[in-house]
Amino acid sequence: MRLKTVSPVGRRIIIAVVVILVVAAAAILLFVTEARAAPAQPIAFNHQVMGQLGIQCLYCHNTARVSPAAGMPSMAKCMGCHKVVDPTNPVIKEVAAYWDKQQPIPWVRVNVMPRFVFFSHEAHVNNGVSCETCHGDVNHMTVAHQVVNMNMGWCLDCHEKQPNAPQLIDCVICHR
Amino acid sequence: MTPKITRRNFLRFATLGAGATILAGCANPRRWVTLEPYVRPPEEQLAGVATWYASTCRMCPAGCGIIVRIMNGRALKIEGNPEHPLNQGKLCARGQAGLQLLYNPDRLNAPVVQSGRGSHQFRAIAWEEGINTLFDKLQGAGDQVAVLGGSSMSGHLYDILGRLTSAIGASAPVIYDPLVSMNGYVALKDVDMALFGKAALPTYDLGNADIVISFGADLLGPGLSQVRYGIEYGKFRSGRLGQRGYLVQLEPHQSLTGAKADLWLPVQPGMEGLVAQAIIDLIASHSFASPDPLRVERAKLFAGPVDLNKTAAATGISPTELLHLEQIFAEAERPLAIPGGGLSGLPDANASLTAVQALNFIVGMPAGGPGGMSLSPEDQLSKLVVKPQPSSFSDLLVLLGKMKAGAVKVLLVLGSNPVYELPLQAGLAEALAKVPYVVSFAPIVDETAAQADLILPDRTYLESWGYDVLSPAFDLPVVSSQQPVVTPRFDARSAADVLLTVAKGIPAAAKVLSWTDEVAFLKEVIAQFPQGAVTGDNGVIWERYLQHGGWWPAAAAAPQGPATMQALPPPPLQVAAPQFLGDAGQYPFFLHLYVSSLLSDGRGANLPWLQASPDPLTTVSWQTLVEINPATAQKIGVEDGEVVKVSSPYGEIEGYIYTYPAMRPDTVAIATGQGHIDYGRYASQHGSNPLLLVGAQPAWASVRVNVTSTGRKVKLSIFEWKPGVEEGFPNQAFPGG
Repeated sequence: MRLKTVSPVGRRIIIAVVVILVVAAAAILLFVTEARAAPAQPIAFNHQVMGQLGIQCLYCHNTARVSPAAGMPSMAKCMGCHKVVDPTNPVIKEVAAYWDKQQPIPWVRVNVMPRFVFFSHEAHVNNGVSCETCHGDVNHMTVAHQVVNMNMGWCLDCHEKQPNAPQLIDCVICHR
Repeated sequence: MTPKITRRNFLRFATLGAGATILAGCANPRRWVTLEPYVRPPEEQLAGVATWYASTCRMCPAGCGIIVRIMNGRALKIEGNPEHPLNQGKLCARGQAGLQLLYNPDRLNAPVVQSGRGSHQFRAIAWEEGINTLFDKLQGAGDQVAVLGGSSMSGHLYDILGRLTSAIGASAPVIYDPLVSMNGYVALKDVDMALFGKAALPTYDLGNADIVISFGADLLGPGLSQVRYGIEYGKFRSGRLGQRGYLVQLEPHQSLTGAKADLWLPVQPGMEGLVAQAIIDLIASHSFASPDPLRVERAKLFAGPVDLNKTAAATGISPTELLHLEQIFAEAERPLAIPGGGLSGLPDANASLTAVQALNFIVGMPAGGPGGMSLSPEDQLSKLVVKPQPSSFSDLLVLLGKMKAGAVKVLLVLGSNPVYELPLQAGLAEALAKVPYVVSFAPIVDETAAQADLILPDRTYLESWGYDVLSPAFDLPVVSSQQPVVTPRFDARSAADVLLTVAKGIPAAAKVLSWTDEVAFLKEVIAQFPQGAVTGDNGVIWERYLQHGGWWPAAAAAPQGPATMQALPPPPLQVAAPQFLGDAGQYPFFLHLYVSSLLSDGRGANLPWLQASPDPLTTVSWQTLVEINPATAQKIGVEDGEVVKVSSPYGEIEGYIYTYPAMRPDTVAIATGQGHIDYGRYASQHGSNPLLLVGAQPAWASVRVNVTSTGRKVKLSIFEWKPGVEEGFPNQAFPGG
């Protein structure tokens, strides 16, 4: 029995499909790796130093217990300490330069939730989820980067293990 | 030799390029967004949690209470204030669009001087220089200062302007814009004064009425208070168990209210008063079982002989229909007659309005229940707070006359745009030419600011202080509070603060305007209020007054109906058929001007949300329509989208034909709002300004026009193409239509 040969047109279709699949795979790979990579920040802020000094996450990200957003420290908060703490450090001088201009530092977002997800820090932090569960050991990161791929499977994985799982796996708990 | 690009290679490279672009687009979107922390965080702000501030809407003079959602210092959404007695948490499209006024890219970011009027050669100056210039000019002008303002100005600014002008001996501010004239504020007050001895705007208790005859009042459109009458309409139709109100609408062109009516009668333009008079005459001579025998007695005070056939011929309403109207009105327990703003634009406006208001008098206050017409309650705060008092067209002409005579050295323009709004024949251009110095307080360069020498940009209402005394007040005196909900976005200053600063240097004014700024002025006024519903147990607490959106008493006052009658007009009340301006041969059509539901009188034209929203009835946006009956269109040989010239004895505009079956064949309807030359990128160069078709007289509703084709045709920017209209509308109202 003779094997069926693929016609030239069919071959082209196969090539096109393969090319599309490769491009799609590359796009997904790029998205994922880039999502996990540490983005370049306007200031080389070092979480590790702060962590070693024993400064709590909530000291700077102080609305995590009371608001959906953890909050970024205001310039006034940075300068509240750094007016006197290590003011000659070149990185802190950069922070002071923003303060002198009374401008905010345009930080680049590290962890991002899609807009169609309702996420509240308040609900998690007040129910015993530690910051590290989602953000990793930031205290040992020189530059903050995303450690977990915050997709729906990952969220549900944890929600399913909770005592009130039936409520927590309801669609509208996040997609409201 | 240059490498040859074959077609095949070109396509390969193009595909590669497209692939690369797609890949780049797959990058994580977080790269595009920066997280900007506060430099100094405001105390009451919590990251990620919205703050809501209560204030007052200024998109029209109604004065609805609003709450504005603020995130990180930015205003994101405007909603109605649920606590506010007027709008009860509801808000119209214009109110929602207020955000685009605040963040409008065309706002001025500094005071500017213009090198030559109309040149658009603006030079930004420092605020100190701007204020000093205003001071120098005011000081040099002595008492030859005039103020022209708009009807949605804050009460405190009007108060300060009034004190300033009276201190320096100048005439009182003139408040005039198309909403004043097209809603008939002044004429209605005059009629109420003559009939009931009280110059107040009437409130119609639509929610408790059973029969409503509306004489062209577009209650659900941008009339006196669109939002409140929308709520009342809901009650009227379905608020009472087992009872549905019956609405009759008389108008030459079907409005939104007309489209909702049970009976829509295309009355001949200007003849609404005659219909009202016929109903009065019929009530006086007939014996329909009226629940109140007094009605016949009261009707006799106005009535004359009835000639149904003559009235029918003049009004286009058949004798059967007239009898039907009389019967339902006389037999109803709580009937209501509502005059439309268009009546005030007739040469004999007072007679027509009197005829309609007389119907409400004949009904009297319904016994044993709410309903009927009431006049705004006696304001217990009238010594403390003021509402900008609309001026009549003749007041405006007096001001223009003064300007033409050279008796005005400095003209201040606040919150109105007379160059756009006034008919050319009013002679504003000549009058302005005689005024040595014109100062505008417009936040965006509008047509009037373009004719000013100095522009001191005012803040928009979401950044401003103020209050609004509601009028008409729906049986509850309300002072709606206004506060800045965001930090001012542009380097604009409040007009009231600028005037208070300038007044310091003018000895006569300094004595009466001693406050450091407008907040000190407002606090002093508010502190004298009596105890209100939400403002604290012990006097008025400023913070609570702002938090809840204003001051109002805990309980509604008893409705004050038209119980007493002042000097009666000698019977019979005689409504004359109006004389329309323009020769009937040369100008065969009646012009029906109406206020746009979205752009209002033109003040909403600079907001893209309002421009892009489809009109509720035609679903057309961005364009000026010339609406005519399909039969008329066929007769004069035009079709949808055809560019036509509409000419009146006073002017000429271009518009696009839209055939609309629900209107009289002898009428042409055009909405106001478009046709700006200035007023920002979204307003200018769209459509035409139909106010140019009106002559220099208060009778804006009695003009004849002609329609001629230019031979060009455009595509209408239409959302829905007349769904169910052509097949569903029998058009039987017009013989031969």
